Amino acid sequence: MTKSVGTGRAARQILRGVDISVEEGELVGVLGRSGSGKSTLLHLLGALDRPDGGEIVLGGERLTGRSDRSLARIRLRRIGFVFQSFQLLAECSGEENVLLPTRLPGAPRGGSGRARALIGELGIEPVAGRSPHELSGGEQQRFAIARALVNDPVLVLADEPTGNLDTTAAADVLRLLREMTGRGRAVVMVTHEPEIAAAADRVLEMADGRLG
Amino acid sequence: MSGAWAEALRGLRGRRGRTLLTASGIALAAAMLSTAAIVAYSLQTGFDRSATRAGLPDVIARFDEQPLSRVAAKIRALPGLAAATFRYEVTNIPLGVPGHEARNGVVEVIGPGRRGYAILAGRDLGVAPGEAVVEQGVARAWGIRPGATLGVQALGPVRVAGISESPDNVAFPLAAPRIYITRQSAEARFGHEADPVVNSAELWATDPGRLDEILVQARATSYGIRGLRFVTRAGVRILLDEAAGIVIALLVALSAIALLTAAVMLASSARAEVQRRLVGIGLRRALGASRGHVTLAQAAEALLVAAPASALGVLAGALLAQGPTDRLLDILNEAPPGGALALPLLGCFALTCLIPVLASAWPVMRAGRRPPIALIAGLELRSTGSGPRLPLPRPGGTLGLGSRLVSARRVRLASTLTVLGVSVAFILLMLALAAELGELANNPAALGKRYQLTAALPATAAPAVRGLTGVEAAAPRYEVQALDSFSLGETITVIAYPGDHTVFEAPSLASGGRLRGPRQAEVGLGLAQVLGLQVGSTLALQLPSGREARFRVAGVVNSLQHDGRVAYVSAAGLLAAEPQASEQIAIRLRPNANRAAISRGLTALGAAPAAASTAVGTGQALIAALKAILRIVAIVNGLVCLYALIQALVLTARERRSTIAVLRACGAGSGAVRLLLAGAAATVVVPAALAGVLLERLALGPALARLAAGYASLALGAGAGEIAIVLGGFAVFAAIAVLWVARVTSAEPIVGALGG
Repeated sequence: MTKSVGTGRAARQILRGVDISVEEGELVGVLGRSGSGKSTLLHLLGALDRPDGGEIVLGGERLTGRSDRSLARIRLRRIGFVFQSFQLLAECSGEENVLLPTRLPGAPRGGSGRARALIGELGIEPVAGRSPHELSGGEQQRFAIARALVNDPVLVLADEPTGNLDTTAAADVLRLLREMTGRGRAVVMVTHEPEIAAAADRVLEMADGRLG
Repeated sequence: MSGAWAEALRGLRGRRGRTLLTASGIALAAAMLSTAAIVAYSLQTGFDRSATRAGLPDVIARFDEQPLSRVAAKIRALPGLAAATFRYEVTNIPLGVPGHEARNGVVEVIGPGRRGYAILAGRDLGVAPGEAVVEQGVARAWGIRPGATLGVQALGPVRVAGISESPDNVAFPLAAPRIYITRQSAEARFGHEADPVVNSAELWATDPGRLDEILVQARATSYGIRGLRFVTRAGVRILLDEAAGIVIALLVALSAIALLTAAVMLASSARAEVQRRLVGIGLRRALGASRGHVTLAQAAEALLVAAPASALGVLAGALLAQGPTDRLLDILNEAPPGGALALPLLGCFALTCLIPVLASAWPVMRAGRRPPIALIAGLELRSTGSGPRLPLPRPGGTLGLGSRLVSARRVRLASTLTVLGVSVAFILLMLALAAELGELANNPAALGKRYQLTAALPATAAPAVRGLTGVEAAAPRYEVQALDSFSLGETITVIAYPGDHTVFEAPSLASGGRLRGPRQAEVGLGLAQVLGLQVGSTLALQLPSGREARFRVAGVVNSLQHDGRVAYVSAAGLLAAEPQASEQIAIRLRPNANRAAISRGLTALGAAPAAASTAVGTGQALIAALKAILRIVAIVNGLVCLYALIQALVLTARERRSTIAVLRACGAGSGAVRLLLAGAAATVVVPAALAGVLLERLALGPALARLAAGYASLALGAGAGEIAIVLGGFAVFAAIAVLWVARVTSAEPIVGALGG
């Protein structure tokens, strides 16, 4: 895949021919310094953005060239996102944040049951009714992980998932990401911390828009 | 200072989309305000302008025909008199031009001296006979220009020298067609009279403030002059205001509401914009900018947007309102304000510039007191999320989330609700008023009339009329014009039926009861207020025959006929004092009666039927002009609502772009974004619409009805039709706003928005 930003003389190539393949049940770590293009790679894999060249195939389904509507449906049913800054909605409780993707038009049935089960599994049931600002960083990230998993995606993408957490909470999140792969999901995690990337089955290093 | 302007310009260039949205809001508010200001100012000052232009006399004295020498001697002896002229007014003269004619023309034969009218086109009457000056309403309606020839019965063809305007009466077709000729013209046709007769005098006082002295003296020396009544300039003004008084008073009052709406909307928009930019303001403060500098820069930016937008809006409002307002003024025989409008329009411009400037500068000044780091951290923005929660249900789903997003900004939600709620009430009021006007213009039942036809037949024909198929009831209806014995200037329409008049005319009772006998009367609320009558008072009437009749007031009724200056008495009571009272047969029809057959039957009895008259039977042009003004004000206000809705959604979408981006990252497509925004729109529209309907029905409608017409109760509560139109319009506006904002939001790259 290739990807540039800007136009004309201000154009800058972020990805210069990246080739990546992730298997079911695999946790892949993408390690790179700030500005190396690892977040851009994650956005392309998650159909949040479109590559300038190359193609993306998810479970045998080609994502390149699809309409916005079709990509939104794929994100809803097949891809889960975990963000560095959690991105929980301040107006919703932790549980309601988890339920958000299940209430979107086109979401698979049984979302409420899956949300309750996930909240139970992740040990955040006692604080499920609290607002995000009443939760610790670790708790917020657990809710964010539960939200990413609630529609049972085949691919989970985590952008610096431990970036805002202390050591204990970060270890906890890594354990959860590892557990996700146990159910046949593929997980791609980008980070700039080698010790975090080391928790992955496979670590790919990214520099100047190329995967090493 | 120049630094602040430069910074403001840079800021505007960087936010073209938002700048355009803000400018649209200011332009709309300015348009709304200038529309209201033009209508209110023109109508409030129209009479004084035209009275000055025409040199309207301070007093008009009308009397029965008298020799000029006799009246002139008495009048010229009055103290403090600057000038006096004498006229002979002849009524019910057939006149016309090819294609147009009227049988109720008024010919004013004027003597030398001041004229009391203004020449709008052509020239005034000279010494040459065979010329006329035509009142502008007639000229407009019949397409008469100076130089045209007008046919006047008895006089023959006269050449139109000029077109005049005089505010001593409303214009044709509200009033009878009026022309002026010189005494020389009359004498050229009918022969010279050494001492011609006159029936009116126009008096100009040296000091109008001491008019009372002239009137007292005139009354004291009027012995021998029959039928004398005075109308002062102030009295003319009151009479003219009554011609469109309901609507004029309402429009003046509604301009205040327009101002409030505009102020709330502009202030809320400016505040929201500043709130959104607090982080940037904090950064500039952190980099060393003084509080004064950031405040000035904000004010300069607001002014740069507001000044051109306000100018455009004021201009648009002026263009929209000018035409119908001028038509209305023409009908009232009042002069358009012309250049005098510059000042109120300048005021609108200044106001619609000042409000956004102050509303922008004030929160920046307040925010400037905080530590810059607090602003950079966005504490202000997040504070709403951690505040006490309202004890409201927390709706789930995408719709519910939209509702929560818009509710998170409580101050903005409240101001948007205020703008929309007041606007809904305002629009409903306009529509209710337009409907009421239509009702008064077209439906005799609005006056309490229950008969549909009249026929110019003698009372003895009533049984024969009752015998026609389809006639439910028929009775003689007597009507005379009387004067109040104690205040001779007040004319009263006296209506009488043999037996129960409520079978034919049943205006609702305001107080007291129905008349029960020949010595009792029901009086209109307008008459009761003018003469200070109440139940039990005595109504003393000077009848055309010169006799006096006295009645005890049994009840006060809500009647709009003749501005409520009406009295219902029994036929026996009236005919005892006025045996020659004019009579006709009032005919009440059965439902689904065959009007054509009844018409044929009545014609066979000797008279063709006429439809029962309405409140403004001859005032269709006035009603059309008033309705046009009301519609324009309502349309401008509707556009303001659309803007307020779009603004609320755009601001919500921009502030919560990262939230929407997260949703889109989770799989929300454009449909889900539309659903989210629909939830936000519903949160604003539904309570605003309900509040607006309640406000109009419970407060504005009743209050303005009272303010507008003390002499009659008007139903200014919006009906189901008007409410359905406004709510439907709001739903359409909400859909437009949702679709537009969703389209813009969905086109934004998710990745870029996730960071924001």
